[in-house]
Amino acid sequence: MNEPLDLLARPALAAGVRLQTDRITGEPMLLSSEGLLILNATSQAIVERCNGSTTIDAIAESLAAEYEAGADELRADVLECLRDLIARRLITT
Amino acid sequence: MTPRPYALLAELTHRCPLHCPYCSNPVKHSQRDELSTSEWSDALAQAAAVGVVQVGFSGGEPLLRRDLAEIVASARAAGLYSNLITSGVGLGAERARSLRDAGLDSVQLSFQADDPALADAIAGTRAHAQKLNAAAAIRDAGLPLTANVVLHRHNIDRLAGIIDFIAALGARRVELANTQYYGWAWLNRAQLMPTREQVERAAAIAAAPRDGLEIIYVPPDYYDDRPKPCLHGWGQSHLTIAPGGEVLPCPTAWSIPGLEFENVRARPLAEIWRDGASFNAFRGTAWMPEPCRSCPEHDRDFGGCRCQAALIAGDAAATDPVCGKSPLRAEVDRVLALVNESEPSLAACAPRT
Repeated sequence: MNEPLDLLARPALAAGVRLQTDRITGEPMLLSSEGLLILNATSQAIVERCNGSTTIDAIAESLAAEYEAGADELRADVLECLRDLIARRLITT
Repeated sequence: MTPRPYALLAELTHRCPLHCPYCSNPVKHSQRDELSTSEWSDALAQAAAVGVVQVGFSGGEPLLRRDLAEIVASARAAGLYSNLITSGVGLGAERARSLRDAGLDSVQLSFQADDPALADAIAGTRAHAQKLNAAAAIRDAGLPLTANVVLHRHNIDRLAGIIDFIAALGARRVELANTQYYGWAWLNRAQLMPTREQVERAAAIAAAPRDGLEIIYVPPDYYDDRPKPCLHGWGQSHLTIAPGGEVLPCPTAWSIPGLEFENVRARPLAEIWRDGASFNAFRGTAWMPEPCRSCPEHDRDFGGCRCQAALIAGDAAATDPVCGKSPLRAEVDRVLALVNESEPSLAACAPRT
């Protein structure tokens, strides 16, 4: 679970996991058979890019371009977010 | 403010091909007058509108509903995440694919044991081989598989073998829950309750991590000193719709004498959730007696299980008798003492009908 994440890994939603907008609050959430996880805006932007073909590095670059932030800083945020979601079995690489 | 429900248990039928003595379904149930396809579709849309995001299709055996794929499609159209909770009897490759195509998100498949003869003896029918086929059909359809095994005196000693068996099936997760004593299980409690020694061994085995398999272990609450936080509070996040449309705050709430349940055929679900007498009976903390009322733990365990209080204390508003602070804890200890000194048998159980 604590293995280092490869920046060239291509994360995807785990089988049986859905990203959805809550119809009551408008918040983004990940739904799985075990429950639900409300996402913040940053996590949502990351999860939306987890399509199984985009690398972690490319996800960070894409976010850096969109939010006009430093790629190094975003890479750290992306890695932290993905480590958490992988530990929760919501994302696979 | 009324809280919002997140999870719905949709009991599509109480009919079941299995006869498991630990079943928590009502001992007396009607096999007629189940909600129609369109009534379920309407109920699911209402559930989503009031806040529900997840639905578990259960029963009885939900596969006995020939319109299951249509009902699943209604859930999907309402934006609900759907989970099929099944014995697997009747789940071939074609049915699994049709359910997936209708929008089913995941499947929870029950097993009774790792050993086929024991598993069939517990189920009261030759179901184990069909379950193996169902597991393959679920995998081949690309649906994520969770297995569940209800534990009791007659299979809990095989726990290590059961975990090996489940891991080999390709399940990603297994729920190993000890029997909860409601319905048929309440009738068969003396035959099903494990010994203290069995429970201690099982907890140690379940705690050992397995690569690639998430293990959820639920110990029997009779052996705990504090009650389980039932549903995270009555009428807080969960509702159940029974086969005939009755809306229940908990799947076993029918076992509480005097509680009356309203029907989705007669009143909008949002009103039943918010204003229904059964939902407000034990909502919050105002209903609590001592020792719960002044207990600092009541925000964590909500006084435990109302159904268990009704069954053991004869009063659904009593503190859950498994709690060490309950004046009735001695009754629970008396039951455990009897169980630990007896030699019960599976054959002596009343099979679920």
